[in-house]
Amino acid sequence: MATFWDIIHLLTGTPLIFVAIMGLVWGILGGALPGISASITMALVLPFTYTMDPAMAIALLACVYIGAEYGGSIPAILIRTPGTNSCAATVIDGYELNRQGRAGEALGISLMSGVVGSLFGLAMLVLLTEPLSWLALAFTPPSYFGLGILGLSVIASMTGGSLVRGLAAAVIGLMIATVGTDPISGVTRFTFDVPDLLNGVEPVLVMVGLFALTELMSQSGSTDLTQLKESVRIRLPSLSMMNKLKRSQTIGCVLGLFEGLTPGGGGSIAAFMSYNEARRWSKTPEKFGKGSEEGVAAPETANNTVASTALIPLLSFGIPSSNSTAVLLGGLLMHGLLPGPRLFEQNPQVIDSLYVGSFVAIIAQIGVGILLLPAAVWLVNRPRPYRAGFIFALILSGIYTLNNSGFDLGIALALGVVGYFMRLCKFPFLPMILGVVLGHMVESSYRRSLVLSDGDMMVFLQDPICVGLLLAAAGFVIYSLTREVLDARKAKLKEAHG
Amino acid sequence: MNRDGWSGLVLLALAGGYYWATGAIPNSTLEDEVGAIGLPRALAIALAVLGLILAVRGFLAARATAAAGNTGTAIEDEERDARIPRALGFLAFGAAYVLLLPYVGYFISVALLIASVALYEGAPKRWTVPVAALGGALLYWAVFVKLLGVNQPVGTLFQGLF
Repeated sequence: MATFWDIIHLLTGTPLIFVAIMGLVWGILGGALPGISASITMALVLPFTYTMDPAMAIALLACVYIGAEYGGSIPAILIRTPGTNSCAATVIDGYELNRQGRAGEALGISLMSGVVGSLFGLAMLVLLTEPLSWLALAFTPPSYFGLGILGLSVIASMTGGSLVRGLAAAVIGLMIATVGTDPISGVTRFTFDVPDLLNGVEPVLVMVGLFALTELMSQSGSTDLTQLKESVRIRLPSLSMMNKLKRSQTIGCVLGLFEGLTPGGGGSIAAFMSYNEARRWSKTPEKFGKGSEEGVAAPETANNTVASTALIPLLSFGIPSSNSTAVLLGGLLMHGLLPGPRLFEQNPQVIDSLYVGSFVAIIAQIGVGILLLPAAVWLVNRPRPYRAGFIFALILSGIYTLNNSGFDLGIALALGVVGYFMRLCKFPFLPMILGVVLGHMVESSYRRSLVLSDGDMMVFLQDPICVGLLLAAAGFVIYSLTREVLDARKAKLKEAHG
Repeated sequence: MNRDGWSGLVLLALAGGYYWATGAIPNSTLEDEVGAIGLPRALAIALAVLGLILAVRGFLAARATAAAGNTGTAIEDEERDARIPRALGFLAFGAAYVLLLPYVGYFISVALLIASVALYEGAPKRWTVPVAALGGALLYWAVFVKLLGVNQPVGTLFQGLF
């Protein structure tokens, strides 16, 4: 844990404050653009972080995530179009308040609830992640194998209704991870004598290709939605209003914590669950759906809480539970930072920067949110054809910065095509991303374990941490499969009964 | 054949091609129990199995639909399919950018990309298109080349000029 002086040094001796605010600004603007999710906003900035100091890069990505969660609520409230998926629940009462001429109030509630949720989430992140890092010293190659398998088990809950498609996507991701130099023997695999492939396919290319390019392709030819009102101004809630929102914000915090910790949970589920629970516990449930302040506060608190708590399984075990945390994982890997326990052991400055940077971003969000609203409205109101051209140019320029390589551009474009067809055929992206980012760890730790044990498979059962992680993975897969089967049965019954 | 059927066949073809490519992985004196070829071969087999399941599922579903007398595809599917050429056309501008970049350099490539994408996406053919394209190129050139110091290509056509 960082001391007081470490924090002072981070704030004064590094560009952390600048980085945090830039990340926040980028996140709010990106999140405000309909169709550009938090993960896409993060993926767009990922190539820029390549040349940055790793600690600053990771802090930047975390702050983009925080900003995007708030940014997404702007079009949700103003044009009934959530900027990010997790703001879908905010649309219900946020847009109703807008129709009643209370858009500024709704934006203010969203902003302050986001700050409350983010602060709670950050506190949980700091309190829960640190103790988990104590396991670091006990980790052996078999433990890392177990960790990788636990990470891959998240796929079971990310299959979007079809386990076969989800598994196929994961296998394709693992196949991409095998391209390059073999981690144990050093021979080349699937490089086809192309020198650019010797180091494999960088996860960032897969993420930008799948998330950003696929989204642009899918939006091609679509028409502009309603324009935002230029004159809208944020009105921060009064103390009495904040007092009134206490219950719904508490619900948002609790469910945001729970969903952030659950692999496959995510901000959308947390937001909808919080909305429902807030309505159930509200003194005025009849106002929900007709412009309830609590109906904005609960989902916004929840999805902002998740933006921090989803980092707990990522930082402590290397398990990304959502697209956004998968992008953050890509950022860690890009800087040679092994996600999981070793991160705390070997790179505490990365963790400290992430915590302090997030705190700065959350506090700055109040001022930046108010100041940036006109810019966000202006950006959303730009004609879509120009926006598409600028975003496409930004993506391609960003990819080139990675290795100054035209080959990388070709790979990203090809992955854009793959992603587009995967989307058409309803293949989920996250399993593929997980395969790419975890493939190397799973294979190398598995083979290293066998080398150390002279090929004895019992090595995995002799390591208690590995056994625990494998059991957790098995339990998680069984739970997810059971839920999928039960859901399918329920849907069939519903269909049969009309 | 429905979506599952086609995806299953594509996965089978991918698995076959990948398995065939594993034959080119060389042996090493540092070879371990599993070897460099172990995981790729296992993955190819796994993908083939998954592809087969999808293909069979798709085939059975298509047969059931045909038996029920419903041979038409949903309107949603037709609309979706009609958008494929448009989406691929969008990406073709990216491919053209990659091809042009080494010859005409970063500034012109970006300007051309912004202008062509904007027109393709329906921007009215007015003076605003070249102005936005040149403005965007200038902005990105300032950010990437001047601010971030990225060595973006000058372009072989203009090498002598800069």
